[in-house]
Amino acid sequence: MSIVITVPDDLWEGDSEGVITAWLVNDGAEVAQGDLVAEVMVEKAQYEIEAPSTGVLSITKQEDEVVEKGETIASLES
Amino acid sequence: MQPTTEQRLWMYRHMVLSRYLEERIESLYMEGKTPVFNMAKGPIPGEMHLSNGQEPCAVGVCAHLDPEDIVTATHRPHHIAVAKGVDLDAMVAEIFGKATGLAGGRGGHMHLFDAKVNFSCSGIIGEGLGPAVGAALSRKLQGKPGVAVAFMGEGAANQGAFHEALNLAAVWQLPVVFVIEDNAWGISVAKQASTAVPRNDRRAAAYDMPGVHVADNDVEAIFSAAGEAIARVREGQGPTLIEIETARLAGHFMGDGEDYRPKGEKEGLKQRDPIPRYRKQLLDAGLLDDASDDTLVEGAHARVEAAIRFAQDSEFLPPEAALEAVFV
Amino acid sequence: MTTTTSAGTRKLTIARAMAEATAQEMRNDPRVFVMGEDIGPLGGVFGNTRGLYDEFGPERVRDTPISETAFIGAAVGAASDGMRPIVELMFVDFFGVCMDAIYNLMAKNTYFSGGKVKVPMVLMTSTGGGYSDAGQHSQCLYGTFAHLPGMKVVAPSNAYDAKGLMTAAIHDDNPVVFMYHKSLQGMGWLGTEKGATVPVPEESYTLEIGKAAVVREGHDVTLVSLAAGVHHCLRAAQALEDEGFSAEVVDLRSLVPLDRETLRASVAKTGRLIVVDEDYHSFGVSGEIIASVVEHDHACLKAAPRRVAYPDIPIPFAPTMEQWALPNADKIVDAFHQMMLS
Ligand SMILES: Cc1ncc(C[n+]2csc(CCOP(=O)(O)OP(=O)(O)O)c2C)c(N)n1
Repeated sequence: MSIVITVPDDLWEGDSEGVITAWLVNDGAEVAQGDLVAEVMVEKAQYEIEAPSTGVLSITKQEDEVVEKGETIASLES
Repeated sequence: MQPTTEQRLWMYRHMVLSRYLEERIESLYMEGKTPVFNMAKGPIPGEMHLSNGQEPCAVGVCAHLDPEDIVTATHRPHHIAVAKGVDLDAMVAEIFGKATGLAGGRGGHMHLFDAKVNFSCSGIIGEGLGPAVGAALSRKLQGKPGVAVAFMGEGAANQGAFHEALNLAAVWQLPVVFVIEDNAWGISVAKQASTAVPRNDRRAAAYDMPGVHVADNDVEAIFSAAGEAIARVREGQGPTLIEIETARLAGHFMGDGEDYRPKGEKEGLKQRDPIPRYRKQLLDAGLLDDASDDTLVEGAHARVEAAIRFAQDSEFLPPEAALEAVFV
Repeated sequence: MTTTTSAGTRKLTIARAMAEATAQEMRNDPRVFVMGEDIGPLGGVFGNTRGLYDEFGPERVRDTPISETAFIGAAVGAASDGMRPIVELMFVDFFGVCMDAIYNLMAKNTYFSGGKVKVPMVLMTSTGGGYSDAGQHSQCLYGTFAHLPGMKVVAPSNAYDAKGLMTAAIHDDNPVVFMYHKSLQGMGWLGTEKGATVPVPEESYTLEIGKAAVVREGHDVTLVSLAAGVHHCLRAAQALEDEGFSAEVVDLRSLVPLDRETLRASVAKTGRLIVVDEDYHSFGVSGEIIASVVEHDHACLKAAPRRVAYPDIPIPFAPTMEQWALPNADKIVDAFHQMMLS
């Protein structure tokens, strides 16, 4: 089963774009539900992205890429 | 103390000019910083502390000052520099880091020095007070005219330098006025969480000097309080502490998410924006009409645009110039 | 905030590593508490106290007034009375307003009491420039702190070291100045050095204060640095490898105590020394490193040592001037070339 990781719609206020400043887990690593996997920055504020389920991480949006709310940045295979 | 018509229009014009400058800086600052906000990027890199909302403090005080009077300001200096008559072209060029800037680009927006009008500022909280006291002492020793005004945020009133400087100025009865711009926040920390007294003007009692409070960011009330305090120091009657309730309509610095503010606070403050308020006051008093307002606003905007063009058209100093000006 | 990601793969920024070490110690030891400006709900301007306020509340995670003399002095008092405070001086440049509490109290009370009074506190402070914040917000001042006896000084270059050094600093019965470089914090708005965000174990661990690390082995030249400078050295070493030279990179990690043995052993092997320091050129770390090697054994040197340091000027605002003045990999490679010519 594959579950996508998206930028939550309520992660920050307004509709500005953000940028992935860090993936805190390597591509292909196993993560558990609730793990902190990435940081997204909007202006000076940093927001956390957690794994929605347990699985093997497959990153689709790399560090320094610009992302919008709702956008898929990775998937988890379990 | 009431301002004359001329002083009223001067204050209004300088508020408009300062605000427009900040708005232009804000948009230029964001160039190269969206969608990825990297402080090092864009035509104006580094930190940027805008003064939107605090213009009444600057104009209400500086309306009483001449170029020979001394002003020390803070990390949030633009409105005060504008009101003190700092060379606008050179100031904006400094903010852009250009050769034609006040310091050839060595100082940037937190370090503006214009000796012609005795203006300086510093990025260290509470640091302007000692130099203002010393400049006042210098005038006294030299028998030269002129008084000093030290501006600071309310956060600075908790620094040791604040208390030491007030005491020194009072003991020596120096011609210096201390002006606190109370915008209620020191970055993310609210005044009531950091300050033992609700109003810092009460602290004047500790140094046996008059303490004056001005409510509601009111231009003419500031003018009046500052006028009386400055008249007193000009007559050799010793220092005064003034605290002005003002409003920071921008973030602490550019890029600030401002999540620490209670919901709705900023919208409320914007409703009380001092510039439209003062405009209405002048219109109601018949000192301004739509046509003369348009002319005044356009004139102020044109002045700012000219300064920005001047800055943009200027070159950077060669990098090795970094080695110069360490000593005279 | 904790994760169960498979070992060796979970990475942290330095900011998070510092916060994680602090949180773990706060869970274990009720004496540990944090004070500083904007370190509460905001989580620190540079992110290194993020999450602490939510977990431990306002009693143990205290936003202070802008009163560095008072709260750093207060940390000295609390530490001497049995607590283990962690205080933050937001930018090291601000030390001017509170240095007495730091170097006359924090650093001397143990000595003045004949070793009977302990001052177990951590002073965290941010260093470094490169983003046009000008001369009151961009300095490193490593040498200033390391020069004054009585306080340990650490400056990590990556999150693994940051967590281990932070934990060690909190455990230490002596005052430790923890200097973190802004460009390594993982705050994107400061432009982030990717190499600083590395895998970090979840469990608590310490790194011995006073031990340098050879982070890249080589035999033609020793490049010595700390904090952000280590990453410049690593880039320079890569560039030199492309030219056929092999550079060894020593990450000092601690300035006090200084691991002179690791330094000397490396230079004994390579015979060449370049010190890279974002702090001012004169009277500082770079001179001390060179002296430590030369006074021990100058015969091991095949060439005069060199330094790539910040010129002795206040840090200019204009990006053109600032970038010109900062150390970088190209300057290190150049220094090596000149060394080989002479
Ligand atoms: C000595 C010192 N400590 C801390 C800082 C960091 N800092 C910069 S602005 C600021 C808040 C200042 O608040 P306030 O004086 O009220 O002025 P405002 O920013 O509200 O205009 C702080 C803590 C500093 N610049 N100098």
